Parts: sequence; structure tokens; C-alpha cells
Amino acid sequence: MTARSSLRLKLALSVLAAFLLSIVFSWLLHNRLAERDIYSLIDSAFENVRSEIIDCVNERMVRQCMAVREQLDDGHPVDTDSLQALAREMRVTEISVANQDGDIVASSVPDYLAHDGKPAFNFVTAGGKAEDMMCLVHGQETEYCQPFRSNTANGAWRKFVGVWRPQGGFVEIGCDGASLRSLARSSIVDLFRNWRVGDSGGIVVTTATGLVLSDYEEPNREGTQWQEPDESFYWRRGEIESFPVYVMIPRKSAVVRRNVLVGSTATMNGLALVFVAILVGCVISAFVRQQMRAQAAKELEMAKDIQLSALPKVFPPFPDETRFDIVASMDTAKEVGGDFYDFYFTGMDRVLFLVADVSGKGVPAAMFMMRAKTLIKSAAQTGKPLADAFAEANDALCEGNTSNTFVTVWAGELNTRTGRVAFVNAGHNPPIVRGGGVARYLKTKPSLVLGAMPGIRYGVEELQLAPGDVIYLFTDGIIEQPGPSGEPYGEDRLLQALSSIGRAKGDVLASVLADVRRHASGAEQADDCTQLMISYRGEPDTTTYEYAPTMDGLAKASADLAALLAPVPEKYRNQLLVAADEVAANIVKYSGATRWSLTVELVHHPDGVRLVVSDDGKAFDPLDVRDPDTTLCAADRKIGGLGIFIVKKTMSPVTYKRRGGINILTMGKDYGD
Amino acid sequence: MTVAVNGRVDTVTALELEAGLKLDGANLVVLDLAGVPYMSSAGLRLLLTAHKAMLAKGGELQIANLQPAVREVLDITGFSGILNLIG
Repeated sequence: MTARSSLRLKLALSVLAAFLLSIVFSWLLHNRLAERDIYSLIDSAFENVRSEIIDCVNERMVRQCMAVREQLDDGHPVDTDSLQALAREMRVTEISVANQDGDIVASSVPDYLAHDGKPAFNFVTAGGKAEDMMCLVHGQETEYCQPFRSNTANGAWRKFVGVWRPQGGFVEIGCDGASLRSLARSSIVDLFRNWRVGDSGGIVVTTATGLVLSDYEEPNREGTQWQEPDESFYWRRGEIESFPVYVMIPRKSAVVRRNVLVGSTATMNGLALVFVAILVGCVISAFVRQQMRAQAAKELEMAKDIQLSALPKVFPPFPDETRFDIVASMDTAKEVGGDFYDFYFTGMDRVLFLVADVSGKGVPAAMFMMRAKTLIKSAAQTGKPLADAFAEANDALCEGNTSNTFVTVWAGELNTRTGRVAFVNAGHNPPIVRGGGVARYLKTKPSLVLGAMPGIRYGVEELQLAPGDVIYLFTDGIIEQPGPSGEPYGEDRLLQALSSIGRAKGDVLASVLADVRRHASGAEQADDCTQLMISYRGEPDTTTYEYAPTMDGLAKASADLAALLAPVPEKYRNQLLVAADEVAANIVKYSGATRWSLTVELVHHPDGVRLVVSDDGKAFDPLDVRDPDTTLCAADRKIGGLGIFIVKKTMSPVTYKRRGGINILTMGKDYGD
Repeated sequence: MTVAVNGRVDTVTALELEAGLKLDGANLVVLDLAGVPYMSSAGLRLLLTAHKAMLAKGGELQIANLQPAVREVLDITGFSGILNLIG
């Protein structure tokens, strides 16, 4: 759970980081946007101001031009000097009068008149924008204004305005910057006083020399020297009709706008991020749950491996052993339990066998199972009596057993010579004993389970086995396996199965399991199913012969063996005779032995024969010899190695030992009960 | 020519059989093993030697009336695919 809460913390932190980032980003973005908006506001205001000023100046000049025309119509002399005087009086720079053809017929500027053979200025032929003025004589307009601009005629800056004369031609006045400003000044002063750009910006118009003409902010400042706006304004300066104009917006109004935008964006982003975080959280926790499930499955797999790897799995486990057989199997359920079985020699003629079931499931049960198995084995293999070994294992298991896990065990110790079994039941199901064709539960008063409480004494009871008897141990997974209606397999069914299942060796465990599966009829296996069966065969009839390493010895051995094996079915007898001949012939021909011996063991329950061939010749393990290639054609076939090959194919098990300078080859042949 | 063999063929008896088995003359020899209960690899060596000898002189060795134990040994060792088995 700590992993998940730290995941939540990380998620919350990353949401916070994303939120802050989004604020910074939107702040930067809106800063830029606000700036752009401000400048476009300033630009459009500037265009408005321009047309406003032009209108105002045009109107003022047209009025002035009409006043000039009135003077002329009233008979004001039109010689150059008189016109110059009139211009001064009317506060314009120049005055000209043109006729119907566009020729200047009178002017305050001598250059425009015909002089020294040069024709008078003609509006049609002068080029540039002069011709536009001809709209007055064509009757299209009664007044016409040109913008303030550089004059093509002499490069001076002028604004020309003309008004038509009803008697033909027109009167034109021209103003330079100074006269324009002095003419229009009073109209402009009032023009922008109440203008606002945006919420709190405005217009400032100055004179060419920087005296304030019109100031939106402080009307009183008019006439004072203008200072260009500082950092606290967005502004633009331009000249319109010779008037320097400033459009300005205080920065702080832009900041307010931006902050409102950033704030609303941040709120929206915050909400969206919280939503996304919740969504991502859900997705991640689903993913984590899936991962945890996968991890759990892996751990179960591991637990299963631990459980299985610890168990002896090679059968027959003691190939040379003729007095008993052990078979065991463990079928693990999907959910791992802590079952195990075990068997080992605890003395020369004593073999211990057990089945156990650890409480609980999964990895902890598997780990406890490992401890229990090891502790029981190490206690039992010291050769102590069974009761003491169990008491010792119990005390060791109790140490540090904080989880209160425990294990039930049924363990028996068979004296392989006498068939006597000493057994301990530490809280386990009673096993089944089958003897003389009858199967029964070996019910005894159980002792306490291992691992529950230290200092427990374990009671040992005894049982006598006759050759052919078996003890069948199992865990409760077998009898508790539920069928389709939930009814468990049960002790009765198990007893019945063991009574009726044929005595064929080896298949008993598989047959029981098949019967349990039939009962389950498709239901999932509920628990581990562990079984162990020990069959007591008793002492074999053993005969040992000793021979010289000669052909004569070989012949004697054949005859002796044939006589001994007379009761053995012919098929097996022949195989045994061939096998003995092959092994003995090798000894006689190649080993350099001084003597060799043949031990014949006739074993029972199930019946079988074991041949043990020993010699004191040089060490030779026939099982090491490579098998011959039996697919070659006649010409390529060799005889060497065929004998051993025949032995390996017909006898089972075949084992080789070298002990005390003696080669010992053991060959077994089982052929039924 | 038919040669009937009686008794087990093992390391010891194979030597006697080898000494007694004369395959000269006839181009077709039938070895009747009806009386042989079992045979070890020493007997196989004998059969292979005889088979090769007959082949060398253009003749043929046929082996008849195998008992189960002999048959098993021939099968295990792959000899049943080499020798001419009849009956």
C-alpha cells in the first residue's frame, strides 16, 4: 500500500507542476497577446486620429480658401505683392488663381507666373498631383484638398486646398507646416480632449517644437514642453498633417486585462488537470492492480517450484533395494499449498517415509515446508529414535515461528529386515494399510502438529508388515476434493479405491488420482494432492556363487543360474540367462579378475529377480560404453558392445558400483506380483 | 543344406558351435534354430561371421525357426534387418 500512496503523491506533484507550467505558459502567451492587442488598438486609434485631423485641417483650410476667394471677388488686387500681403493676412503661405484651362493667372509666388519667356504654371501639364485640382474647373467638385506632402514643383512641404470660382477657374491656397499648424491649431486643441483609447489611453498632439497642443490626461499642460512617454506606456508617434501625434495606453491597464485572462485560463487549466489527474490515477491504479496480479502469479509459480524442487522425484529411488518399494507423487493445485513427502535411510536397515501438510498457502507455506522438511530430515538422520527426532524438529520449528504456521506429518520408519514399522502421527490424516487383500485406515490417537508449541513429546506406535503389505499415505487434498455437488471425495471412496485397484505396482497412485478426478468431474483441483506408498517385499531368497574367471567357470555359472531360475517364467529366465552370460563373459575375457561371483536374489511382492555380478578385475563401468549403431549393414557391423547393449535393453534397473576394489553390477527384472 | 542347432548359444557353447559348423560346399545353408532357447552376443558374432562368409562366396545363409528369446535379441541389436530370417 505504501507503493500506491507514494504513487498518489507523485501524481499530485506532477499535476501541481503541470498546473504551474500551464500558468507560466499562459502568462507568457497572454502577455504576448495582450501586447499585440494593445498595438493593434493603438494602430486603429491612430488611423482614426489621422482621419479626424485631416478632416479638421481640410475644413479649416477650405474655410480659409473661401475667405480668400471672397476677398478676391470683392476686388482685392491680384498683383504678386498684394497677394503676398493677403497671404500673410490670411496666415497662409501662398495664394494662386487659376483660369479655366488650369493656367495660373495670379499668384503670390512669382515663379508660378509667366516670366522671362517661360509660360505660367499649368495644373494640367505640371505633372504630379497638381492635375487633381482640375476637378474644380470640370464642375465635379466645388472644393478640393490635397494632403500635406512634399511638393513636386520645388520640394517644399505644402498642403494645397482649392475652391472653385463661379466665373471660371479656381482659387488655391497652400500652407507650409507652420502656417498649417497656426491655422488649424485651435480646432485641434479641442478635438482630442475627450478621446479615449481603450480604457484609459488617449491622444496627445504637440507642435513641431514639442509644445503640447492637446493632452487627454492633463488639459492644463497645454503649451508646456512635451516629454516622450516612458516605460509605463505603450505608445506610437506619428505626424499627421504636420502635427506630431502620440497614441498612448498605460501599461497597467494592459496588465489588468492580461491578469484577468491568465487567471481565467489558469482556473480552467486547473480544473482540466485535476480531471485528467483523476482519470490518469484510475488508469494507473488499474495497471498497478494488473501488475500486482501478475507478480502474485509469478510468486505462486516460484512457491510451486520451491515445493516441487525439494522433493525426491526419481523412482525407484533405491534401485538396489529389494526389500521394499516406494512411490510418491504430488499434484499441486493452482493455489500452492505446503504439502510434501520425503523418504530416506536413517540407518543400515531403516528407511523413514513421511507425508506432511503445512498450514496456509503460497510462498510462506512453501518456505515453511522447506524448513520443516530439512529439520525433520536432519533430526531423523542422526539415528535418534523417531520420538526424539520429532521432538527435536518440533522445537527447532517453533523457534521464531511468529506466523504460527504449523505442519501435520505422518512418518513411519520401516525396518527393512523385519518389516516392523515405528510411526508417529503429528496431527495428520491416518494412512491406509493394505495386507492380505484387506485395506483399512490405521487410526491412532494423533500427537500435536509440528511447530505449534515447543517441548512436545511424540508418541510412537508400531505395526508389523508382512511381505506384500503396503502403507498408503496421503494429504487431505485427496479426500477433501469436492465433487460437482460439493460433496468431498471422502475416506470411504479412497478406501474403496485402494481395495479394488489392482496390485500392479506403480500405477496405484495414478489410479487413485484418476478416481479423485472422476469424482471432481471437471471441478478445479482444490488443494495439493500428495500420496506416498511403501510396499514391503520382505527378504529375497538369496544365493551366491563364486567362480574362476575361466570358460569352465562360465559354463558352471550358466548351469547354476538355469537351475535357480527354474521357477521363473521362461521369457524372463532366458533374458536373465543372456544378461548374465554377457556380463560374465566380459569379466572372464577382459577384466583380469582373479575371481568373480554371482548373487541371485529372488524377490517377491511383486516377483522379480536381481542378479549381482561382482569381480575384482580392473574398474569398468559397462554403462559408460557407447551404444552400437544397430542400423549399419552387415559388412559394417561389429560385435563389440552388443552384449552390454542387450543387457541395458532387457534388464531394469541396471546399476554399477565400484566398492573396495570390486566391480558390482546389479541387474533387476520385475515381472509381476 | 540344413543345419539344426540344439541348446543354448552363449559364450561357452558358441565356441563349440563355431568349431562344429561346417558351411563348405553348399550355396544355400539353412540354419534351423528351433532347438535354441536363447542366444547371447557370442551367438550373434557367429551368425554374422557365417552370413558374411556365405555372401563372399556368392551363397546365402537363411536362419529359420527362431524362438522368442532369440528373436528378441536379434531385434534389439538390429540383426533381424541384416540376416535372412525365414519361418
